[in-house]
Amino acid sequence: MKKLKKHIGYYLSLLAIFTTGFLLTVYTSPNLNLQKLTVTLTIIAYVLWGIFHHFINHELTKRIVIEYSLIGLLGLSILFFVIEGGA
Amino acid sequence: MTRFLKHLLLPRESNNYRARLLHHKILLALTLFFFSAGLLMSFLRTNYPSVLGTYSNISQEALLSLTNQDRQAAGVPPLSLNSELSQAAAGKAADMFAKDYWAHIAPDGTTPWDFIKGAGYNYIYAGENLARGYTTPDAVVNAWMASPSHRENMLSPKYNDVGFAVETGNLTGENTVLIVEMFGSTTFATKTVSPQQETAQPVQVAQALPTPTVGEAINSTASQTLAVQKIGSNQKLAVNAGTGLKQPLVNGATFSVLSARMIIGLFIFVLILDMIVIERRKIIRFVGHNLDHVIFFSLLLLIILILARGAIL
Repeated sequence: MKKLKKHIGYYLSLLAIFTTGFLLTVYTSPNLNLQKLTVTLTIIAYVLWGIFHHFINHELTKRIVIEYSLIGLLGLSILFFVIEGGA
Repeated sequence: MTRFLKHLLLPRESNNYRARLLHHKILLALTLFFFSAGLLMSFLRTNYPSVLGTYSNISQEALLSLTNQDRQAAGVPPLSLNSELSQAAAGKAADMFAKDYWAHIAPDGTTPWDFIKGAGYNYIYAGENLARGYTTPDAVVNAWMASPSHRENMLSPKYNDVGFAVETGNLTGENTVLIVEMFGSTTFATKTVSPQQETAQPVQVAQALPTPTVGEAINSTASQTLAVQKIGSNQKLAVNAGTGLKQPLVNGATFSVLSARMIIGLFIFVLILDMIVIERRKIIRFVGHNLDHVIFFSLLLLIILILARGAIL
């Protein structure tokens, strides 16, 4: 809880990124090409946000950069799978 | 087995106090797996639609029955299934796939009325409802009834006839089931059954597009004979107009959405578990914040919900 309070500003900015991404995905529905673009940009923003967050807190390591990038890529691959599946 | 599961899902000494599922190699392997699986699904959907395809359990009869149930509940006379309107609806669906648009009016200016007239239905009043991405008739009719403008079409006493088309194809980059519902009447509206229903005016010239409630008077000079357009050969139709009953071995959309939800749910569970265990044991690690990833995966679940839902117009 203490940690959360310490990072509240960062989390609010993350929620702002995600809310914008989500609303844009809803707004561009049912144009799948625009939705793909919106989702990809949101994921890139998340990875950059994660790296920036750790950099500001002097916790940034190569492993953390790789972790956020891999989580972002995993998210992208799952959405790719869902879209190619016909959803 | 229990040991393996603990190693995979819980932070402990054997996995350097980070659930194995969250290790970089596993994340990379899963990423490659989902990209490959996506490519495979794309290949199967294109080349073997009978194995993996888009399936809808929507028939004209079911749509008619549900529409008339709602009309009956509202005190409005039932609609009759009209083959010319169904032909017009099929023509509109084919046109949407061929020209790749999602709208009441085609990019070249073709209106729904052109398809209705082209099918030989001389209407006095006409209207159109569109839907895509739904797999059951209940879901389509409920979505239309939940929208005031579509509901107005569904319950309008001006209409006597209705026609449907249910087609599967690629629309604006998405393989989807498209449902076209066309309403019409060849006689002027008389007294309505329900006192709440507004009596239709004999000549309603205004075309209210793009809203779906559309009325139009007969244009005596225009006898457009637009032929129902055939879908291009590159459009692979898995479902015949109005039947929607040709079922592939695996419904790609359902399979991929369920699998994705399960794997995302597993990650959220493992991340939260990892967070709790590490917090309790006061273990210091230099890794990313699990909470960030939990929020990220929750967003993915919401996005999948949006991708999987249908749309009406």
